[in-house]
Amino acid sequence: MELLRPSSVAELDGGVFVHGGTEVVPLLREGLLDAERLVDVRGVVPRGVRDGVIGAGTTLAELEVEPAIPEALREACRLAASPQLRNMGSLGGNLLQSTRCWYWRLGYPCRLHGGNSCHARDGEHREHAVFANDFCASAHPSDVAAALVALGARLRTSRRELAIEELYRLPDEGDRRTTNLEDGELLLEVELQTVDSSAYVKAMDRKRWSFPQVGAAAARVGGETRIALAGVAPIPWRIKSIDELDAATPLPRTEWKVPLARALVRRAVAALD
Amino acid sequence: MARLIRTEKEVEGRFEEVWIVVEEDPLEQWPEGPLTVVGRDAQRKDGHERVRGEARYTADLKLPGMLHAAVLRSPHAHAKVRRIDLEPALALPGVRAAIGPGEAHGLEEEAGFAGAAVAAVAADTFAQARAAADAIEIEWEELEVVLDPDDAVRREIFTAEPRRYERGDVEKAFAGADVVVEATYRTQTVLHNSLETHQAMCEWQGDTLHVYISTQFIWGIRQSVADTLGLPEDKVRVVCEFMGGGFGSKNSPDEYTYAAAELAKRTGRPVRCALTRREENTSAGNRNATIQRLRAGARSDGTIVALEGEFTNSVGWSGWNASTEGPMRMLYDCENVQTVTYGAQLNTPPMKAFRAPGFVEGTFGLECLIDELAAKLDVDPLDLRRRNYAGSNDGTPFSSKNLEECYRRAEPHWERRHEVHARSDAVWKRGVGMASQIWYGGGGPPSYAWVRLGSDGRATVITAMQDIGTGTRTAMAQIAAEELGIPLEHVDVALGDSARGPYASISAGSSTVPSMGPAVRAAAADAREQVEDIAEQREMPAGTPLEEIVAVLEESQILGKGARGPNPTGMSVLTFGVHVVEVAVDVETGEVQVERVAAIHDVGRIVNPLGASSQVEGGIIQGIGHTLSEERLLDPGTGAILTTSLDAYRMPTIADVPEIVCEFVDRPDEHLTNLGSKGLGEPPIVPIAAAIANAVRDATGADVHELPISREEMLRALREADARAREKEKRGAPAAV
Amino acid sequence: MSELRLTVNGGEHVLDAPVGTSLAHVLREELGLTGTKVACNEGHCGACTVQVDGVPRLSCITLAHTVEGEVTTIEGLRDHPLVEAFVRADAVQCGYCTPGQVVSAAALVAANPEPTREEIRHAMAGNICRCGTYPKIEEAILSWQG
Repeated sequence: MELLRPSSVAELDGGVFVHGGTEVVPLLREGLLDAERLVDVRGVVPRGVRDGVIGAGTTLAELEVEPAIPEALREACRLAASPQLRNMGSLGGNLLQSTRCWYWRLGYPCRLHGGNSCHARDGEHREHAVFANDFCASAHPSDVAAALVALGARLRTSRRELAIEELYRLPDEGDRRTTNLEDGELLLEVELQTVDSSAYVKAMDRKRWSFPQVGAAAARVGGETRIALAGVAPIPWRIKSIDELDAATPLPRTEWKVPLARALVRRAVAALD
Repeated sequence: MARLIRTEKEVEGRFEEVWIVVEEDPLEQWPEGPLTVVGRDAQRKDGHERVRGEARYTADLKLPGMLHAAVLRSPHAHAKVRRIDLEPALALPGVRAAIGPGEAHGLEEEAGFAGAAVAAVAADTFAQARAAADAIEIEWEELEVVLDPDDAVRREIFTAEPRRYERGDVEKAFAGADVVVEATYRTQTVLHNSLETHQAMCEWQGDTLHVYISTQFIWGIRQSVADTLGLPEDKVRVVCEFMGGGFGSKNSPDEYTYAAAELAKRTGRPVRCALTRREENTSAGNRNATIQRLRAGARSDGTIVALEGEFTNSVGWSGWNASTEGPMRMLYDCENVQTVTYGAQLNTPPMKAFRAPGFVEGTFGLECLIDELAAKLDVDPLDLRRRNYAGSNDGTPFSSKNLEECYRRAEPHWERRHEVHARSDAVWKRGVGMASQIWYGGGGPPSYAWVRLGSDGRATVITAMQDIGTGTRTAMAQIAAEELGIPLEHVDVALGDSARGPYASISAGSSTVPSMGPAVRAAAADAREQVEDIAEQREMPAGTPLEEIVAVLEESQILGKGARGPNPTGMSVLTFGVHVVEVAVDVETGEVQVERVAAIHDVGRIVNPLGASSQVEGGIIQGIGHTLSEERLLDPGTGAILTTSLDAYRMPTIADVPEIVCEFVDRPDEHLTNLGSKGLGEPPIVPIAAAIANAVRDATGADVHELPISREEMLRALREADARAREKEKRGAPAAV
Repeated sequence: MSELRLTVNGGEHVLDAPVGTSLAHVLREELGLTGTKVACNEGHCGACTVQVDGVPRLSCITLAHTVEGEVTTIEGLRDHPLVEAFVRADAVQCGYCTPGQVVSAAALVAANPEPTREEIRHAMAGNICRCGTYPKIEEAILSWQG
């Protein structure tokens, strides 16, 4: 394995990108990711917050105390992972993290790994999805992504600009990926729009250092209230209103997440006033 | 004079009759209360080494030429090796030896659980060993997998014959009872997850095997390894100076030790075999799940007349059938008790002792049932417990029991419930619950200690025991300092090496202090008496400080020796306590927050109140994990373990800790040894789950019957309570809380 | 193999290691700094915490070749007042997580010499202690200045 340290986008030439390493390093070690070439992108990805634009290399620890960002994002960062992981992990890396589905993490030949069944659906799925869970029942673990979806953030990559919602895609038979990022495409910046208010509330099974059982982000933009959820679908999940929770399709052991999500959404929305 | 006696020995609630040599134990107990050193807060003797990272754990040891071993484990929950080929492993770079089923104890052809050891490889680096182990070619014949404990019981697939207990006539008593409650409780499988994983490093020097191992029982390792390898025990040296947590899981050598020993033999080099965290979560033992179908009957005055329990332990592929029924048999004065305990053999990882095995689970069931009974009788839960206070252990007197004093001290904490209820609001419902604790912890012989005293007035306690992190070094130093009348700073404790000290007790079953402490005191007393002899010969006035007397010794040393005397015959030596817990439950999201725990324990004399409070806090916090967030999960189809990493297996963090108030009755057990101390490692984890569950019921009216009380379980119980209240309303009765 | 330059506790080290080697491995196996413990080796428990330029990181999932700042391990903090505070408060049981706790706590008090209980709980939640010494750790940090 070789390690490259490019200092500009122009120098990028394939390989597996690594920034904080909190996701890539364990995945490499477990054999869930193969890399002949590791690319340390810290020299390429901007870091810091300026005029509503956040460098994707900014760490979660920096963001949790950043006054110049909306509350929902700050709180999502504050409640994410552990202190050391927040010190290491970058905003961009957080958005691209994989599911915590145990079957996926243990390398079962599940649909996300290219196989032809979802082990969680028939097996142990109490932490899994309640929406869009027919093909793959994994739950997306990023608090930050849910917050950014509610905030209507836009992303700039090494190749294009896109709305954060366009970053994510539901896996299907033909394409098992959960993001639309192309090979070699690198997240560079997150652009925030001005919001009137925002909030993030999170249910965990311990007070800190847990992935979301359910996370609910809400933001008020003009007259509109935008709501997004973490931990309920294979990707960050936007709902237009709380009533959409009635359309959830929980698995037998994820039914509990629906009333939980309802309570959290109510709280997040209530916090906007 | 040495005497040979036949005595009953108890470890973790399991009894056996053993022959032991005891020496006279003529010392009077010290008076009750804090003494000069004993009974006063002491900082850990090894605190600086541990905090500064200087302490050398097994994981830190490295011998010249050391190889690393990796173990190949079964991916199947039940399968047989049809064919195995080690050659592909041996062909890989760095590989020095490979062994398969039958070539080391614990490497087996039939894998009874996913994670069972099959083969092992030694190589220059761990990465090479891992790659080589994975390269072993193996053809499996998959066998039937049994995962459902009820199914195993129906089919009588047991690890041992069911255990039945009966006193009185339960059916008759139930028929005559005014009130009967019945409930089924379930507890989950939880994992020890000691931060230092199970590991050993083995080296042969001549015909002696040196075993460096993270263990709770140096002498048990010595004996097991010697027995298994057919060696004289003196040809096995076992070393463990510092160890990184065990909680009951590190009492035996197991496959990693035997693989390291065999690979070391074949290569002529030292071999380390350390489990990874993933292996620790699949193959290093667990607190087994239980199903408890319980029934209690009482007269309307609150007298419990009948207790009945059917307990199923999901033992796993091997292990023992822990005393889940123990609390039901022992905690209350009830004439009619009937229990049956099944040990279901399943294709899941074997159980191992885990901090009060059986009693933690059984106390959850029993003490929740008692609160349900109190509710039905409309009797105060504390009153109900007092009304049925056991004066003896089914006829056998207690060596000491101060549970009533624990209850008395619990009163002010219990009284807080009105104020706690008043702090409830629409979302957060607050409540208070309690549970009692009974468990062993008397220790026993044999255990020996030496005390070496030099002319500088400094003493060293020498005994080949282990300090598993509970502060044993410190407690032993305090006892020796007290007996010798010298400052604690002048006492060192040398332990951790079977070649450098006498036999010492296991550090399990809350037995280290009650087993070792009396031996250390006896050894110190022996040394002190010798010093007094010298003083008398030199005609020094009475009361001459020890330092002054021994100053004449020059290179001479005083050597004292001491042995642990027997436990009192015809008595039950047990520990007691009570927890009063305050919780807040978010009724919308199912979050349970433990806000305050008052723990009052009766474990005889407290040697080090500071260290003892740490034990209590640690037990409570581990118990909170057990109650709220920890659960080992299996794939229900295959039996493969899914929670193998610490993001999925969730132990409490510092943010989960409630206010903890810790009190001790601190009365020496007058019948127990020259010290009067019982053990404290386990008692604090025994009542916490039931106390939390009872507080949850008090707060919300919801009956939680399963551990962990996850949001899923809490929301289910709240929904059920709502439905019950609505039903009642429909019938015109006033709604429940 | 690839050259690796590290500054650890003020000392410079140049060594060779394959890319992918963790900082924890280099510290323990190459430099003999065994105060840094590895308990999970996948970034979940905090036992391996070291500081890089004063910021707590998990050395078990830090690629040694990507370390650019100064590494401080427990060996570099042996004279820190927190050590005495931990011993005084009995904030140590088996001790396996303790060096990592001290490294995290040292970064906390450097940034915030008088943290509140809430701040301590937020900053220390990534250091798992299976023995449950947390109340004593909190006391030690609250009283670290003596």
